[in-house]
Amino acid sequence: MTLLLDARGLEMTFRNGDELTPVLRGVDLQLGAGELTALLGASGSGKSTLLSIVGLLLRPTAGTIEISGERVEGLSDDRRTLFRNHRLGFVFQFHHLLPDFTATENVAFPAAAPAGSLTAAMRRRARELLERVGLGDRMDFPATRLSGGQKQRVAIARALMNRPRLILADEPTGALDREAADQVLALMKEVNVEDRATFLICTHDALVAERCGRSITLRDGRVASSQSNPP
Amino acid sequence: MFAFTVARRYLLSNPLQTALLVSGVALGVTIFVFITALIQGLAITLTERVTANGAHVSLQPETRRARVLAAPGVHTEAVSLVSTFQRQQIREWSSTLSLVRQQPAIAAVSPQITGSAFLSKGEAAAPVAVTGLDPADLDAITPISSLLTGGDSNLEAGGILIGDRLADALGLASGQPVLFRTDRGVERLVTVQGVFRTGVEAIDERVAYMALRTARPLFLLPEGVTNIEIRLTDPQRARPLAALLQGATGLRATPWQDRNLSLDEALTAQAQTGRLIQTFSLVSILIGVASALVLSTYRRRSEIGIMRAFGVSGAFVSRVFILQGLMIGLIGAVSGCAVGYGLCRLLAGLTRADGTAALPIAPDQGGYLAALVLTTVGAVLASLAPARSAARLDPLDAIQQ
Repeated sequence: MTLLLDARGLEMTFRNGDELTPVLRGVDLQLGAGELTALLGASGSGKSTLLSIVGLLLRPTAGTIEISGERVEGLSDDRRTLFRNHRLGFVFQFHHLLPDFTATENVAFPAAAPAGSLTAAMRRRARELLERVGLGDRMDFPATRLSGGQKQRVAIARALMNRPRLILADEPTGALDREAADQVLALMKEVNVEDRATFLICTHDALVAERCGRSITLRDGRVASSQSNPP
Repeated sequence: MFAFTVARRYLLSNPLQTALLVSGVALGVTIFVFITALIQGLAITLTERVTANGAHVSLQPETRRARVLAAPGVHTEAVSLVSTFQRQQIREWSSTLSLVRQQPAIAAVSPQITGSAFLSKGEAAAPVAVTGLDPADLDAITPISSLLTGGDSNLEAGGILIGDRLADALGLASGQPVLFRTDRGVERLVTVQGVFRTGVEAIDERVAYMALRTARPLFLLPEGVTNIEIRLTDPQRARPLAALLQGATGLRATPWQDRNLSLDEALTAQAQTGRLIQTFSLVSILIGVASALVLSTYRRRSEIGIMRAFGVSGAFVSRVFILQGLMIGLIGAVSGCAVGYGLCRLLAGLTRADGTAALPIAPDQGGYLAALVLTTVGAVLASLAPARSAARLDPLDAIQQ
């Protein structure tokens, strides 16, 4: 399996005045292309921090990160922004849709903003993605008129807009009821299988972890375990 | 332009707030326009009143001064004699007239002979300031013909026109003869051709008009003229034209402002006060726009954060906020100009019982272009700080908030 993400020796220490708080203490994380991996751990174990570092939203105190063969931990802010736009997709616990835009516009946003215009091709792709996540009848709905589960599915479609190789999801089902959570998880699994997209899902939910191919558990800023789940 | 779409959508997402913001800007622009139109109107009215019966630029010979003639290497001193009797005059006045007429914005030019004289009838005598001019130019500087209360304005026959107060003082009426004695000592009996009333006491009591041809022998000036009076289509061009003509002719050119220094100072002070009020209006607009956008930046922190997370550049975010400032400024400026113009037209139409305007306002002089440009540019500048702050938001902080 081709290695998509290769992070080694990641350390992160937060400073609050004179007080130093180490959150990650030398984490190694490798993800193969097309893997669906759950990142587990108690609150404060460092999983959200690890996800932010891998998502280039946070710079590690130490360590190296290679995504698709490119070293990224030292990139400038502008290059990191560009890298996130082209190579990474994000799904957050709270959908964070833009309330003044329709579902289609929300999905197309990551492509339209850097290009400077919302082209017909972008709109077509966004509509295809919405069809795929089962929202073909909600394409022109304002984001505010969608239910929680629908919003999260729009957020997944948005994460797929620029065809990223690595999708990072932080508690994607945390704010959903069980039925909606199942639908979202099934959708991510489908995209993982059909598109060979790599997922790293940060979760508290053991049921979510069971449906992933692999589970990595963090404890006190270190990888405590890494195990494959039965299919 | 997608940033424009986003900016427009943001403004429309809260129509009431945007309407209030634009109204605030429009109100500031309306004040700007009103103050500008009022100050300009006042300046125009005062200038018209002051220059209604006079020239905008006067050309006269340089005042002669006695001077010391130095001879190199010789301790000799001599003083040139300056005759106080011989009138100073503009001999080459025809060529000067041609030069003046070539200038832009010239409404009328009148070569004149002016001097002092006494009018006597019986025991009564009164001093007068005499203006000798070409009868065809009689109304060029002061519209005397239209102000006649008796007689006519035909000066070809050698008569004079006098003010009604002078006529009353001497017991004169049109058609009557009067003894005319100039400061040159020349005397002649002339006929009162007409009597006028300007309403300006100093003129109606002390001024007389006659033909240039009549004035020449009386003031011993067979060829030249003593002054050339000029009226302009725009009185505000008097200063530059005076400077140009003085340089070109060597004559002393006096703009009307120099003869009315207190008015000029008052207008300048008024304009400065107006500029201060205009500046306050603009500053209040800028503060309004900036504070609204700062609030908007704060309210949309998480949205900005998510945009930045999925790779939208800080420059794009910045453009969205600058475009909001631009739209608020432009719409507010256009609305404010329209409302300001309407208000000025309304106020300009209000009249007193005697039919004169209640407010000396000039609706066309509201400084609309300045208001439009300053407000729009100002609103964009006011949006720069919030835009910069939005562009610099840390996506992680913003999302986690």
